[in-house]
Amino acid sequence: MLKTLIIIPAYNEEGSIEKVVNNLTEKFPQYDYLIINDGSTDQTPNICNRNGYHVVNLVINMGIGGAVQTGYRYARDNDYDIAVQIDGDGQHDVSYLGEMIRQIEEGHADIVIGSRFLGKEGFQSTKIRRVGINFLSLLGKILTGVCVKDITSGYRVVNARFIRIFAVDYPADYPEPEAMVIAAVHGGRIMEYPVVMREREAGESSITMKKSVYYMCKVTLAMIIRRISFGIRR
Amino acid sequence: MIPITLRITLIVAVIFYFIFILYYLKNKMLELKYTLIWLAAGFVMVLLIAFPELLLLFVTTFGIESNMNGLYILGFAFTIMTLMTLTSIVSRQNLKIRILIQELSMMEKRIRELESAEQRDN
Repeated sequence: MLKTLIIIPAYNEEGSIEKVVNNLTEKFPQYDYLIINDGSTDQTPNICNRNGYHVVNLVINMGIGGAVQTGYRYARDNDYDIAVQIDGDGQHDVSYLGEMIRQIEEGHADIVIGSRFLGKEGFQSTKIRRVGINFLSLLGKILTGVCVKDITSGYRVVNARFIRIFAVDYPADYPEPEAMVIAAVHGGRIMEYPVVMREREAGESSITMKKSVYYMCKVTLAMIIRRISFGIRR
Repeated sequence: MIPITLRITLIVAVIFYFIFILYYLKNKMLELKYTLIWLAAGFVMVLLIAFPELLLLFVTTFGIESNMNGLYILGFAFTIMTLMTLTSIVSRQNLKIRILIQELSMMEKRIRELESAEQRDN
């Protein structure tokens, strides 16, 4: 069996982390998991210690990109074949995980992205956010020729090749759309898998209305610059 | 042409400027590679003071109104270049700090696990 690591970035997720991990270990005891506690200021690290969870405590808060990248570095250093990233807030339903991992195991794709827009079920985000996501998705398609509908989804499974790529080069903040561009320019086969997402159980989304304008500008630019810095030939 | 009094003022200023940089370098408060741009700016100033024709050439080539404006524009251009260099240094350090945090935190996990394994053995 291929060695699989589930990366769970968590920043102030005291309300949901226990549920996410217990759910995971119950359904998939065969996979390893690793919580990346991104310098949480609430009870998250204490909960992890009390339960003896596998956790890396980042000594300084680095943002989601730096946290996820820590997971990829860990996966690379410990020779994992497959890495999964799921959010620590309980939005991602782990019951799809087996199927998503199988797509990689059977070699159908290099990267599988859990997409809430393919099945059009469950939590679909707010209308204004969907407009933003559609825009980024279109931009991704124009830049790389690859269409990923739920381009901001942080529910992803990647194979060993992209573990090594992301361990070295992963965007810092708001990383998902940019990471997809990186994957596409490296010639990765990207597959979207329909999943149902829940509304977050506790905590707050990292992207508030105030930040969303900054988010859109920054991500748009980051994607374009990524594409340009890779050259025209691909 | 630059008036002679201004030339004297400028040359004194540039001398002080170099003394400052050398002082910092000597006391290891600045790394040489980060001061290269500062030294280059000072060198250009010396050239312009020594050969005011160069300034005149610069001013006429780019259609700048007066000599003083030419000096200001040069000073401003060097400031911008220095700021850009600084931003690039900060960005590179940011990347290094990021790797340090990640490696340190993974190391902490390993130590924690080794310690608890040791405790179990005893």
